[in-house]
This record gives sequence, C-alpha cells and structure tokens, in this order.
Amino acid sequence: MRAGYVFVLPSIVLYAAFVLAPVAITIILSFTYYDISFGADWVGFENYVRFLTEPRSLEIFWNTLRFAFLAVTFNVAVGLILALALNRAMPKFLLYFFRLAFFLPVIISAAFVAVVWSYFYSFDFGVLNYYLQQIGIPAVPWLSSSRFAMTSIVIMDVWKNTGFFMIILIAALQGVPKPIMDAASMDGASPWRRFSRITLPFISPVLFFCIVFASIGALQVFESIMILTGGGPGDSTRSLSIYLVDEAFGSFELGYAAAVSVIMMILVLIITIIQIVGSRRWVRE
Amino acid sequence: MQTRSMQTREARKWVDRAIIAVLLLMGIAMLMPFFWLFSMSFRPAAEAYKMPPSFFPPSFDLTNYQTVLDSSVPFLRIYWNSLYVAVLVTIGQLVTCTLAAFAYARLRFPGRDSLFFVMLIGLMFPAQVTILPIYLGYAKLGLLNNPLGLVLMGLTSSFGVFMLRQFLRSQPKELEEAALMDGAGYFKIFWRISLPQLSPALGALAIITFTGAWNSYFQPRALIESQASMTLPIAMDLLRGYMSQGNLSVVMAAMSMAILPVVLLFLVAQRMVIEGVTFSGIRA
Repeated sequence: MRAGYVFVLPSIVLYAAFVLAPVAITIILSFTYYDISFGADWVGFENYVRFLTEPRSLEIFWNTLRFAFLAVTFNVAVGLILALALNRAMPKFLLYFFRLAFFLPVIISAAFVAVVWSYFYSFDFGVLNYYLQQIGIPAVPWLSSSRFAMTSIVIMDVWKNTGFFMIILIAALQGVPKPIMDAASMDGASPWRRFSRITLPFISPVLFFCIVFASIGALQVFESIMILTGGGPGDSTRSLSIYLVDEAFGSFELGYAAAVSVIMMILVLIITIIQIVGSRRWVRE
Repeated sequence: MQTRSMQTREARKWVDRAIIAVLLLMGIAMLMPFFWLFSMSFRPAAEAYKMPPSFFPPSFDLTNYQTVLDSSVPFLRIYWNSLYVAVLVTIGQLVTCTLAAFAYARLRFPGRDSLFFVMLIGLMFPAQVTILPIYLGYAKLGLLNNPLGLVLMGLTSSFGVFMLRQFLRSQPKELEEAALMDGAGYFKIFWRISLPQLSPALGALAIITFTGAWNSYFQPRALIESQASMTLPIAMDLLRGYMSQGNLSVVMAAMSMAILPVVLLFLVAQRMVIEGVTFSGIRA
C-alpha cells in the first residue's frame, strides 16, 4: 500500500519545488512591490492597474495577440495545405526527404536558426534584399522598420513550426475512411466538395487541437523575437515574454514582472478552458 | 466508360506528379537555411559577405572552426555545459518519471488519483510563471550562473509522468499481477516487468527531453549571465559579436557544431523523433 508513495516521492518533491511553489509565489509577488535587498511591500492590485493603464504595456499586449493570431493562422493553414499535398502514395525515399525537410526546423532551437535568418533579413548584406534588387524590387527593411518587422518574424515562425502541424494533420487525414471518399468521387463529388463535406468534418477535432496548441505556444514567443529584433524597432515587436524578462532582469521590477507573468498564465488558462469545453463539443458529434 | 476512367486515372497521375514536384521545391527551400549554415561555415572570411553568395564553399576549409575554438568565448566549455545539462536532465527525467508512472499506473494507494491530477495541472503553466521565484531562490542558494541549477529544475516533468503512465496503462498487466501473487516485491516487479515493458516509450521520452534541454533558451537566459556557465543557445548572442567584426563564417561554424547533435539524432532516428515530438508537442 505504502510503496506507491516511495515511487512518486522524487517527482512530487521536485514538482512542488520547481512548479507548484513558484507559481504560488509568483501570484503573491504580483501583489507586491518587491525589492531584492529590502523585501516585499503589499501594494494590492497596483501592478495590474499599471499594466492595464500604461500605453506601453498595452501596445506589447496587443503585439503578442497580433503575433499569436498571425502565427497560428499561417502555421495551421500552411500545415494543412502541406498535409493534404503529402497525403498520397509516394516512394519511401521521398517521404523520408519530405519529413526531413519540413520537420528539421521544428526540432532545431530558434535560438540557432534565428541567427541565420537575421543574416537573410539584413538590410545591407542580406541575401533576400540582394535577390530582390536583382529583379528590380527595392530593398526591404525586413527587421529595421516597424512596418515589416512583425511580418518577418511571423515568416520565420511559420518556416520553423508549420512542419509540426503538418505531421499531426497527416495522421488525422489518414484516419478519414477511404470507402466514403471513394463513394463520393464515384458519385462525381468535386475535390473541393469532398474536402469540405468529408475531410474537414472528419479532421476538425484535430484541427481544433492544432489551433489551441499553436496559440499556447505563440503567446509565449520569446527567442525568435529576442534574436531577430530584441523587441524593436521601438516596441513594435516586443512580446509579453520579452517585456517580462526586461522588467524582471533589466529594471528589477520583480513585482510588476510577476503581474505580467500572471496575466500570461491567465491567457493560457483561458485558451486551455476553451480547449476543454470545445473538445467536448467536437467529440459529441 | 472504360476510356473515361482511364483518362481520369492518367490525369490524376499527372496531378500527383505536379504536386510532388512543387513539394520537392518547397522542401529544398525549407532546408536552405541549414544548407547555407553548413556551406557558409567552410567559407573563408573574405567571402562571407560576397554577393551573390556562392552556393557551395570554394573549399572545405576548417579555419573557421579553429577560430571558434581559439576565440575569447569559451566555446568548448559552453558545449560541455550544454551536454552536461541535457544528459543529466534526460537521465533524471527517465528515473523520476518512470518511478512515478509505475505507481500511478500499477499500484493502489490512497490519494493516488488526486496526486496524479495535481501533477497534470503542471502541463498548463508556462515557464514564465515559475521563473521569478526560481531566480530568487537560486540567488539565495548560490545556484545562479551555475549549470547545476538548470539540471535541478529539469529533473522531472509532468509531461514525462503523463506520457509514461498512459503508455504503461496500454500494456497488459497480467504479468505484474501474477508476480505479485507469487510474492514478488514492488521494486522487483518494477525492475523486471514494468521497466522492460516501458522501453519503447523511454526511448521517445529520452529523445524529447534531450532535444528540449539542448534547445532551451528562456530559462538559461534568465538564470545565467557568466560566459563560463552558459549553454549553447544563449551563447549565440555572444558569438554574434563576431558578425559586427565582419566574420559571419565563424558564427556559422559555431552554429553548425551547436546543431549537430540534434541533426544527427534526427537523421538516425527520424520516426522516433517525429513520433516523440508530435506526442509531446514541444516547440523548440
């Protein structure tokens, strides 16, 4: 009977020390003004009020949502198109190559590849601008203009993450029953009709999972922005994660940074709840 | 009727070929940054900014690699730190998660399901919510600027426990029950029966954990400042200092070495990596 506790003990102790306690402390910290040498002063909701009233933090909040919206839309849409294209009979070596090409970016840290991309995007020495100019298009300030910077980051993010959704959606597509598809094409249903009436309803739970999953990841975006633009120019690409690190380890506003992280946690929680409620609804069909 | 279906079959074949051709082009485009990185790492410094960039390096010159190792950035030390953290975190998670998964899947004890539920909640917290208290705690314990700190916080994971427990539950438990009847102790059952049953899942978990730790950026960045304690992803910022000195090829040589273990792992165990990563959903 008691043996069970012995087996779970190491993981529970570590989990309590590195997850549960820190989350609780962060929540408490978010209601304080915390100074490393003088300790904490209770300030109630002041940190939250500051976040919700400062134009700067609101711009950053908005950036994060905008990034998440764009990244989720394109990651899942491109992933779906690739999955539909790949879901056909082909020789084994081709399949290996496609898996390699589309999945390799998923497993290499953005911290590494973003450096290569920052070279691609560079205004004066960048490969992209070189080829654009060759075909007569003026150089684009990919990362140095607030008009383009966010788009450039989204492009890299889609390159990096879409393969993940592609793989998941291929698995879902393989679950679409073939007899139904064959019967539909016998009856002369067009490819679009077959897709919208059979495939889409079938894979919709997985598609829904992809959207939720992509959103949770995108809301926490950190390294790709950190390395490509560091949040700039100005605040135009700063995300909540970067803001949090700036406030905590740059300005040592730990109480305020804690409030920012609690807000991030609430965002993720809301999406998780939507997932739970939504998946119940999907599964029932 | 016969001819029509033959015609459509022929047409469909061509559509298939066209789609595969487009996919091939896209696949090559996807791999370009990696190709670029390796190719550039062999290019002499003088050619680093040549336009148009030559596709293949003029020679396989290892000078840039040597420059990385000789530079003021302690690259080998940083590489060692990355290995140290990733290997110990992987071993730690395999041990703690296997033990816990065995208990949650096979043993009965009061509070088992509530404990498991509490563990599952951990899947919901982003790293940003735990980092500040860990930072403050580490500051008190002298674990800031110490790779050991990164190891300690990675020794268990809700995901690992969850994944292994689900896997073990999908396996037959008659063997364990029979062994229990014969009077075998829990540790013996765990070691002799459950652990071998778990081995395919352990491989997947090891790959995910290793890659995750190798790629980790947010936490090391918050907890480590000194060069000698850095891991590779955060050291990239340091190495980028070289770019301003005009030597991009050196940075690319460092980068090639940094991504090598994960690339090799992927080339060798493609299926396992993909299955593991898609199951866990880590985003590197």
